[in-house]
Amino acid sequence: MANQHVLVTYTAAQSFQSSDNWIHFLAALRSLLPLRNLHWKPTSRPNLRTVQELDVSLVPLDSLRDEHTSQVPVTLLEKPLLNLYVLSCEDAETYKTTVKKQIKDWQTSVNQRKNQEWLIIHVVRPDSKNVDRKFFSMKGSVLDKIKGDFNIDKRDRCVQLPWSTGEQSPAVWADLIGKIKDGLLAAFDTAVLAREEEVKRSEGQRHMPGWNFCTYFILKESLASSFEGVNLFEDALQQYNELEATFMNVLGEKNMSWFGNLINPAPKDDSLPLLSPSKKSYRELILANTISIFDLRVYLLARQSMLLNKMQQPIEICRKAILFLSTFGKRLREVEMALPEYFVESWIFSSALSVVDQCDAWASSWPELEGIALARYNAIKGELLELAKSQLDILGVKVGHLPPKPPFLMALQTVSTTPSSPLPERNPSQRISKYEIMLAIGDIEAFYDLYCTISNRAIDAYVKAGRRKFALKLHGCLAALDNHRGRLSNALAIFSSLPAHYAPHMWTSLESFMLSHAIDTHAVLQKPRDREWIHLLLGFLKTYVNEPTSESLISHDINEYVTKLVTALREASEKLDSDLPHLDHPIMALEITKDTRCSQDEDLVYLTVLIHNRLPCDVHVDKIGVVLVGEDTTRLKFTAEFTKLVSGRNYLVLTCPTSSHGTYVHESVEIRIARLHFQWNRKSGGGAGDALTSRKHAIPVHLPRNPESLDVQLCLPPNTALGTTPKLHLTISSGRNDLATASVRLSAPAGVTFDFVNSELHSEGVGEIDTSEDGISIFNVPSNSNVIISVPHSDATRFRAIKIDVSITYKTVRDPALEWTLRTSRIVTVALPIAVNVEDFFRGERQVIPGLDSSVKLRTMFVTRLFSRFTISTTTQQHVRILSARLLSAPDAEQGAKIFGCHPSHSVMTAVPDRPVSYIFCIESDRGPVSDPLNLVISYRLLREEVEALVNKTVENALRQLSQESDVGTKLVQAIIEYLECDASWVELYNTTGELIIPSSLDVGEELEEAFSPVQKILSQPNPPSPSLGPWREMTIPVDVPKMNIVADAWIAIQPPPQTEELPRNQLPSIYAGQALSATVYITASLHWNDPENKRQRYRMRYDVEERTKDWLICGRKRGDFLVQDKSTFSVCLTLIALHHGHIELPKVEVKPLPLDGEEDVPKVLPSSDTHQSHGAETVLVLPRGGRSTFIVSMGTKRV
Amino acid sequence: MPQPPRLNAVALISPQNHPILIRTFQKGDELKYHYVAHTSLDVIEERTSGKTKPTECYLGLLYVMDDVAAYGYITPLKVKIVIALALTDSVVRDADVVMIFKALHMAFYEAVSNPFLKLDGVSESTADYSPYQAVGSMKWKRLRQAVDEIHRALCAYAP
Repeated sequence: MANQHVLVTYTAAQSFQSSDNWIHFLAALRSLLPLRNLHWKPTSRPNLRTVQELDVSLVPLDSLRDEHTSQVPVTLLEKPLLNLYVLSCEDAETYKTTVKKQIKDWQTSVNQRKNQEWLIIHVVRPDSKNVDRKFFSMKGSVLDKIKGDFNIDKRDRCVQLPWSTGEQSPAVWADLIGKIKDGLLAAFDTAVLAREEEVKRSEGQRHMPGWNFCTYFILKESLASSFEGVNLFEDALQQYNELEATFMNVLGEKNMSWFGNLINPAPKDDSLPLLSPSKKSYRELILANTISIFDLRVYLLARQSMLLNKMQQPIEICRKAILFLSTFGKRLREVEMALPEYFVESWIFSSALSVVDQCDAWASSWPELEGIALARYNAIKGELLELAKSQLDILGVKVGHLPPKPPFLMALQTVSTTPSSPLPERNPSQRISKYEIMLAIGDIEAFYDLYCTISNRAIDAYVKAGRRKFALKLHGCLAALDNHRGRLSNALAIFSSLPAHYAPHMWTSLESFMLSHAIDTHAVLQKPRDREWIHLLLGFLKTYVNEPTSESLISHDINEYVTKLVTALREASEKLDSDLPHLDHPIMALEITKDTRCSQDEDLVYLTVLIHNRLPCDVHVDKIGVVLVGEDTTRLKFTAEFTKLVSGRNYLVLTCPTSSHGTYVHESVEIRIARLHFQWNRKSGGGAGDALTSRKHAIPVHLPRNPESLDVQLCLPPNTALGTTPKLHLTISSGRNDLATASVRLSAPAGVTFDFVNSELHSEGVGEIDTSEDGISIFNVPSNSNVIISVPHSDATRFRAIKIDVSITYKTVRDPALEWTLRTSRIVTVALPIAVNVEDFFRGERQVIPGLDSSVKLRTMFVTRLFSRFTISTTTQQHVRILSARLLSAPDAEQGAKIFGCHPSHSVMTAVPDRPVSYIFCIESDRGPVSDPLNLVISYRLLREEVEALVNKTVENALRQLSQESDVGTKLVQAIIEYLECDASWVELYNTTGELIIPSSLDVGEELEEAFSPVQKILSQPNPPSPSLGPWREMTIPVDVPKMNIVADAWIAIQPPPQTEELPRNQLPSIYAGQALSATVYITASLHWNDPENKRQRYRMRYDVEERTKDWLICGRKRGDFLVQDKSTFSVCLTLIALHHGHIELPKVEVKPLPLDGEEDVPKVLPSSDTHQSHGAETVLVLPRGGRSTFIVSMGTKRV
Repeated sequence: MPQPPRLNAVALISPQNHPILIRTFQKGDELKYHYVAHTSLDVIEERTSGKTKPTECYLGLLYVMDDVAAYGYITPLKVKIVIALALTDSVVRDADVVMIFKALHMAFYEAVSNPFLKLDGVSESTADYSPYQAVGSMKWKRLRQAVDEIHRALCAYAP
């Protein structure tokens, strides 16, 4: 339909028409066209419409012929909307006589026409305007006259234009243009109203017999084209949309009698461009009532697209096209039998492509699409292209170019082939006309090329649109095509790369489809089954087990397929040249049960695990290994070999040759199929839900201890000697094993090292050892025996306890091929429980020196004895029992020192934390100092050890009477010890009386009940600590006897004043306070404990009598130097006056050595000395002076 | 009275784009509907990622391919529901489609409210607490039954 302009007629007054001005006027008026910015306020619609630009054709009125011949409603713009009458008459008389009549005639003719407006333009010369007014003001202007004559209603249809030739100002036209717009719009509005009324009336008659959709269509379309004519595209599109909706309604009511066939296939119908409304004379067909539904709908779509094009909405065009092609294509397929062969496919194919081309062509004239709009446009183009591609799918399957299987079958549609009405026979002479399709049907290569081209175009569009998933789908189709064409390596490459895109979002169905195709292609290619193939296969199995129940996309019997693959997997993995680990594959799930037990006759631990084989078939595995990890990362590996895992649940017993026990958690699992190693680590544990374990938390597994299995103990040796290399006793109990060999490794953290090379076999044990730098090897140990090895180690005194990891690998005589392990750790307390302090006292024997005043018992001491006090205190909170402490001279030392101990009050002493135990020894040496160190040997044990021994013994005795198994005893002892550990309240009572009160309510378990009560009874008896019970530890401490250069003995002898009366012998005369006493200070020095070579030396010493100003007044030389030699006595006289009465200690005499005389520059060495105050414990009784005492007593004063 | 649309397939997809359940009511066409569900995600993303966020759950017709019209729906918690309707030449009313979606949403809501659902679905990674499980897993038995029920109801409604 030609684009029709709005028509405006003009008529000019004859006088004006003949003038030159007329031509100019017309040209000037035309130059103002097209009109801009028309604002239409439609009466039938709520909103204001704005027409940006309106083309107007100015035609002379008489050029229009009356074309009322046709009844077919055409556009409203076919007839003029506005009629203009132009006059230029300035003379009122002329007007009255001639012009008025002319106008009247014109108006009459114009008014007859429906829906048309008219406008009288009065052109005046601009300069004459004002003059006119003045001159004719009385009579009124010509314009006023015209207005008066012709304005019949309110609307002013007369306008004056002050214009002459050469007038350039556009302002003068404003009034006229405004009036023209008003006129046009008013006419258009009435016309539209009228036409809409008609449409409504027609629509209302829809259900009446004889109503014809085509008539209605034409009527409605005329409205649409009217709107289009005034550039109101949205309103125009609205009309078509309403038409379409009505059509659908009519279709739904199946009121199609007035239609021709669904389709009258015409040649080239399938290849004509879809969006061209002029490819057929549709309107004629409609008018003739012979149009087919096919044509009508194509026409509708084409018209809509034209309008959308003008609105620049390509996305909407494509959307409508694709919906139309899909839906109508489906309808066409219902009558496919009547259509030329492949008509539908060809039509959709070519139409889709033509829409894309058409839109691109249209779009090229618009401003560039950007951003989201561009992406959407590309997406919709992709959809169109994919639609075309899917037609090729259908065609290919029909012709036989493509195999009838997915994904090519996806587009094939299930159409009910039983149409309601009998179909006309297919006209064999009709053929499709699309060249590409015809070529493709005939030539398979051309078909493939076309398929690839279209697919790639679609992929391209999708990629531009950012629709990755659509593109992936097409890639999959292309891969399938490659596969079919025999381009297998291409297909394999695509199939292998696609699963990676589906896997992240867990689209296992599609992933598994791609993988299975990759595997199939691989098989057809007969490529070697390498690692890559195994990875593909494992990927497939993963998807299989992850999605076992859902409908699989794989056509063949899935279980059989998987079984075959698993068999192939084994074969392939056998051929691998190296091990292939694979982490966290979900085909197996392993659960560790708590069922662990020990073998009865070997050091084996059995662990039952539940393996869930998720494959539908049995799997032969070479090895299953489960690693358990205990504290201190000791690992145990449980294995089983050559088993068949049936589909579903498998309980397997794994074994581990070990004698370790304790609590473990499982760390990793490995299942080997030939060289393929499936591994699952608990910690890495990726893969939600499908990893090895079904629980997030580690399940602790308790490995029981077998009392008969190999065991190891580490302890301090019973005899400790300080000052020598520390040692540990390693006791290996062979249990039931005849050990052929065993190698032991010890490792202690934090820098303590073991000196394995110097390890020694203890005499109590059996077996042979061989030592090396990093461990000890033990040979030939019979069963039920102990090997005791003392292992020296580096200094560990900074630790209280060290934790030692023990690792033993051993082989038995019975099964020399198998290697057992024992990994455990032991904590050894290396700190000693007791500490020893020593104090030395030098003393001599008293001798009376004869020859002096007999009344004075003059004494002197020659110091030859040394008393040593050893204080043994506990270093921990533990009570320590001490059996004995002996001071021994070294066995090889020269004789000369005699050591006397003292007798302890009890046979067993107990050192508690706040009450140490002291032992005193007296060392007598005739020949001076003792150069060889003595050894202090302490026999001790912890209270705990004693109690344990006591309980052990008691239980043993009790069991012997009951003749029960020793196993019961162990448990009972354990129960009692555990009870004692919990509570320290028994300690005090036990210390005092030796009674151990165990409450009978202690829960020891039923089996122990019988043995418990006698044990409890015996333990509660008083039981004094006895040295014979249990073992004692011995500690040897080397003790040096101190040397002393000078040992002095100071003594103050008081000579009592001469007495008047004779006193009984041996009684000092009374001493009174204030009485002067003469006293003598004796200082006896001995060099006995000095080095023998220094015995002759003379030393200078200084004495100093203590000043005790409250007790004594001392007169005389209270300080002085003197020379000393062995066994010499120095004496000096003093006078003492007691200052008060009472028992008064004598002042102390301090004796200090003075530096030796030596050379000047040699630093002076102070000799060592020790001074004993002989009188230290003596006091002197001083009596108060007798006689008179004066007391002043207050006699009282008279108070006033 | 227009016919109610024929339901060919239903897909429920988790916010992380993992399939929860894909149910196909057309034998032999599973691949196609898996593709439909998967590709619909692209379109849903286009619709929801634009500047103007859709205020409604119903996303309307996503796209038409071959004889299938895919409609989308996104729950407030971003679970996506895609249904594939058989394409017809007659008008499909949005109200009908929304009704189907509402029923499916409700079915999912009920299935996911099952407090024991999580017991079965043990998730290994702590980060992903979503209860949405892999497609077709047995855990969604109840949901599958509900979806089947909806399909059956629609079939019974159609002549």
